[in-house]
Amino acid sequence: MTIAVRAESITKTFNGSQKALDQVNLSVNHGEVLVVMGPSGSGKSTLIRTFNGLEAIDAGQLEIVGIPLDTDQDERQIRRIRRRVGMVFQQFNLFPHLSILDNITLAPIRVRKINKANAEERAHGLLAQMGIADQALKYPSELSGGQQQRVAIARALAMDPELMLFDEPTSALDPERVKEVLDAMRRLAADGMTMIVVTHELGFAREVADRVLFMDAGRVVELTDSSTFFTQAKEERSRRFLNQMAH
Amino acid sequence: MTGSRTAYRKRLLQARRHPLQTLLSLVILAVIAWVIWSTATWLFFGAKWSVVTENLPLFAVGSYPENERWRPCLWLGLLCLMTAITLLQPLVSVRWRISGLALSWCWLAMLPIGLLLLAGGAGLQTVSSRDWGGLTLTVLLTCFSGLLALPLGILLALGRRSKLTLPRHLCRLYIDGMRAVPLIAVLFFGQLLLPLFLPVGIEINRVLRAVVAFALFAAAYIAEDVRGGLQAIPGTQLEAAAALGLGPWQIQQLVVLPQALRVAVPALTNQAIGLLQNTSLMAILGLVELLGISRSLLANPAYIGRHLETYIWLAGLYWLVCTAMALMARQLERQGPSASTSAIPS
Repeated sequence: MTIAVRAESITKTFNGSQKALDQVNLSVNHGEVLVVMGPSGSGKSTLIRTFNGLEAIDAGQLEIVGIPLDTDQDERQIRRIRRRVGMVFQQFNLFPHLSILDNITLAPIRVRKINKANAEERAHGLLAQMGIADQALKYPSELSGGQQQRVAIARALAMDPELMLFDEPTSALDPERVKEVLDAMRRLAADGMTMIVVTHELGFAREVADRVLFMDAGRVVELTDSSTFFTQAKEERSRRFLNQMAH
Repeated sequence: MTGSRTAYRKRLLQARRHPLQTLLSLVILAVIAWVIWSTATWLFFGAKWSVVTENLPLFAVGSYPENERWRPCLWLGLLCLMTAITLLQPLVSVRWRISGLALSWCWLAMLPIGLLLLAGGAGLQTVSSRDWGGLTLTVLLTCFSGLLALPLGILLALGRRSKLTLPRHLCRLYIDGMRAVPLIAVLFFGQLLLPLFLPVGIEINRVLRAVVAFALFAAAYIAEDVRGGLQAIPGTQLEAAAALGLGPWQIQQLVVLPQALRVAVPALTNQAIGLLQNTSLMAILGLVELLGISRSLLANPAYIGRHLETYIWLAGLYWLVCTAMALMARQLERQGPSASTSAIPS
């Protein structure tokens, strides 16, 4: 089985002192779903943002989909990685001046140089897969949060990524909209997509994740099978977190 | 009806209670009525509009050769037509509507067409730019310097936000420097000093020098307006674009600038209108644009003392062009999704 992400003792420091990532080691296989959990400020988002070069690391070694990423960030290497790694943000970050269709086809046309007709055909297919086929010609501001997030997923998928990063994809949604986004992600996982998901959704993690990474203060506290994590977490810190989340 | 009548009665009662206020209101009303009356009588009976009516071609095209006048007139006509088409877009049915892109290209095409019609060539008799004038020259100066200033301003704005130190400082120096100099000084430099510095024999067209001077000046102000628009775009938009693998130029061109320029449209409209008004400064430097032609007309003994008529007519013309520009800009603002509905989650 090939490796999608390998991180070797990566470290990231903000403002000179505060350690957002402290000697993190991790390896994620292709086809695997990894859920990253932890209290806020534990470095979960920072961790997955280093995987597509949105955050630079201060020390350590990264290898994403086979491309090495060092502390000195080479723009070209980063762009090669970004072409093959999709990302979904907490705040959707759709482009408000473009229609849904143009949001999805922008990168395939401009980055992968796919012709417009093919890109649009693929976009319609992805929208159908996300259950929002009839929204193609609308603008982001006309859609609900859940619909916008599903467009964001479709936009990332349009680049045919090998790895999908989700940065708290449901945290900005109304509770009744969370399910539609999680369902779309479930289907994606079932199709065999490699996914790294930062989330607080315990149900999703229990059901979909192969492994769970629990972080606190920039360190890996526990990295284990999801069934093990939810039934018999080794560390006291993880158990305390799970307890708090359950109430 | 009864409602308004009771309200009227109430006012009357109040008038009895406050005689001083009532008196004041009446006096003010009388003054307003007198001003309107005297203005109207002067406009319709007192004023001698012959200075305007007899010289309409001069106001339109200046001292352009008489048998070639149809060329600038055709251009002005085309511009009026384009303005009418643009302004009527929201009123006509969807079937007859022209796409925004096609409309923009038509507007852009107006510039080379205008230049060709005015200067001649390609079968048309060439006319020296010395003979250009009137409204045509005013519009020409505005259009060309605006078209030149906009990309320059955008580049300056991008440069000012660049991560590289040298371009950032150079752009800042240029913008601050240009804004510290009055426009008339820049125009003087272009019209009177520049020819002195150039070697003998090399002469740059006066209109071109004016256009370049206006463009260089306006670019500094446009840069600041665009920078304001750029600052309104949240960093998360750049992150989302970068995460898709777009390069730095693509991010600016496809994601940031389209949004930033839409935010900047009201401020840019301001600049465009300011530019139109500022072209009148060229009258001092000897170009016979709208104000210049009026001044030379007033120097004609036949029209001595017709200042008021001429300047009211001029004000009306400037007002008309500015209003058309403002209306079109407002239409531009309304196109597409409104800028306020950015990436903020619902």
